Amino acid sequence: MIHLRNVSKIYPNGTEALKNISLDINKGEFVFIVGPSGAGKSTFLKLLIHEEKASFGKISVNGFDMMKIKNRKVPYLRRTMGIVFQDFRLIDKMNVYDNIAFAMRAIGEPEKKIKKRVKSVIELVGLNGKEKCRPNELSGGEQQRVSLARALVNKPELIIADEPTGNIDPKMSFEIMRKLVEINNRGTTVIVVTHEHELVREFGGRVIIIKGGTVERDDKIQTVYHPADQDEGDVGT
Amino acid sequence: MKLSSIGYLFKEGIKNIWNNRMMSLASIIVLVSCLIITGAAMLISVNVSNLIANIGDDNQINVYLDYSLSDLDSIKLGSQISKIPNVEDCEFYSKDEGIKEFEEKLGDDIYQSMQGDDNPLGNVYKVRLTDLSEYKDTIDEIEKLDGVMSVSDRAAIARTLTKLNYFVGIVGFWIVTILGVVTLFIISNTIKMTMYSRRFEISIMKSVGATNAFVRIPFIIEAMTIGFLSGLLSSGVIIFLYEPVRETAAGMISLIGTSTIPVEKLWLQILLCFCGIGIVIGFLGGFISITKYLRKEGGEILGW
Repeated sequence: MIHLRNVSKIYPNGTEALKNISLDINKGEFVFIVGPSGAGKSTFLKLLIHEEKASFGKISVNGFDMMKIKNRKVPYLRRTMGIVFQDFRLIDKMNVYDNIAFAMRAIGEPEKKIKKRVKSVIELVGLNGKEKCRPNELSGGEQQRVSLARALVNKPELIIADEPTGNIDPKMSFEIMRKLVEINNRGTTVIVVTHEHELVREFGGRVIIIKGGTVERDDKIQTVYHPADQDEGDVGT
Repeated sequence: MKLSSIGYLFKEGIKNIWNNRMMSLASIIVLVSCLIITGAAMLISVNVSNLIANIGDDNQINVYLDYSLSDLDSIKLGSQISKIPNVEDCEFYSKDEGIKEFEEKLGDDIYQSMQGDDNPLGNVYKVRLTDLSEYKDTIDEIEKLDGVMSVSDRAAIARTLTKLNYFVGIVGFWIVTILGVVTLFIISNTIKMTMYSRRFEISIMKSVGATNAFVRIPFIIEAMTIGFLSGLLSSGVIIFLYEPVRETAAGMISLIGTSTIPVEKLWLQILLCFCGIGIVIGFLGGFISITKYLRKEGGEILGW
């Protein structure tokens, strides 16, 4: 699904953000990317969504050759992934329903399909009854769930969550992570970039540590969390 | 692009105008002003051209006779004029008939005092020509005849009007060019404002895989709608004011009344032309600014 071979990224100002990275992420994996600020995590994500182009090496994401992809094809690459941002990135003047539907409208899906699909992801992230609420009427955790629903609504093969728990309290963070695991269990590949080692220890799985632009460790750690632990009422569809 | 998206994109474009209504209103006002000035220059040019064409097509000239010419000599002169090859018809028009035309304007007292020998006008022959291309030669020939005081040379008027038309054309061209650039600038600035106020949404659209064409369309629709509304308003103002202005000008120079185009013949062209120009300028302004934006910062996902 994601293949990087000897990838380096040097910015025009001379900063070498990534140095000779090689790794593979397979379909259905749940991967944590951890590392200190300035380690190269953001650059790594930017390469995956083609916000930046690698200076050297080979990258392929969801079947797209990122070194050869034409600009007009980039939207189609991005349709194969959903992005969850740390600061939610919700549109204040739109309610929950429209914020989620926006992702489908932006790629020209018909209203009938949008209605059906939005309803289903709202149930999946547990936001039933909040469809008409504006983002400022929701808690941080709920806002992040809207953001997650928006990332999911186009049925992507890959979810990239950039510090998804960075702006919410620990209880809500746990809830968001549980949702991400649930989504992963349905077959979607999930990449979570985080600083929170506690969450990594709790949820485990594959952990890639990036430091100084290189992959310092790439291990599988024991999962403490099991989907069966989830609270009652936190249902998906 | 899917057909189902067109309605959505159109709605978004119109919504942009409302959300950004103060800026949209300001640009409509400026655009209407620019279009009215441009339209006025165009209409003056069209009417002057029509005037010149009418004068050119008019094959009748007036031959003014010497005041001292006797009636007998006047008749002889008439037959001499008739013999000139290019003369189709030669009709005597006495000074009494001439003064009668002014009866209403002069008032009864003055009119009565200008009868008989006190009539300041002279006798005239109204001469119709066969071939207008020999206009100049025929006039020269008539002027050579004894008893002819002068000949009304409409060619001179036509020449003056041609010069005026040329001047109006040059000035009009620069007005249209400068105001065209100004309107383009205004419309693209309006769109730029909308874009900046919606850059967050554009960024989200790009992150979920919206194509540039999809992002672009609502902004182009917004700009075209502003252009169309401006065209509609300015054509309305022009159509409303055209006839009163024409009548006022005709009151000063009678030729304008007969040789300019009445509003009934022009209103549809004015409406279509102004709305068309508005839409084209809107399209260009919108397209230029959104394309420039997407090529630069608009292609990025904000904050990453």
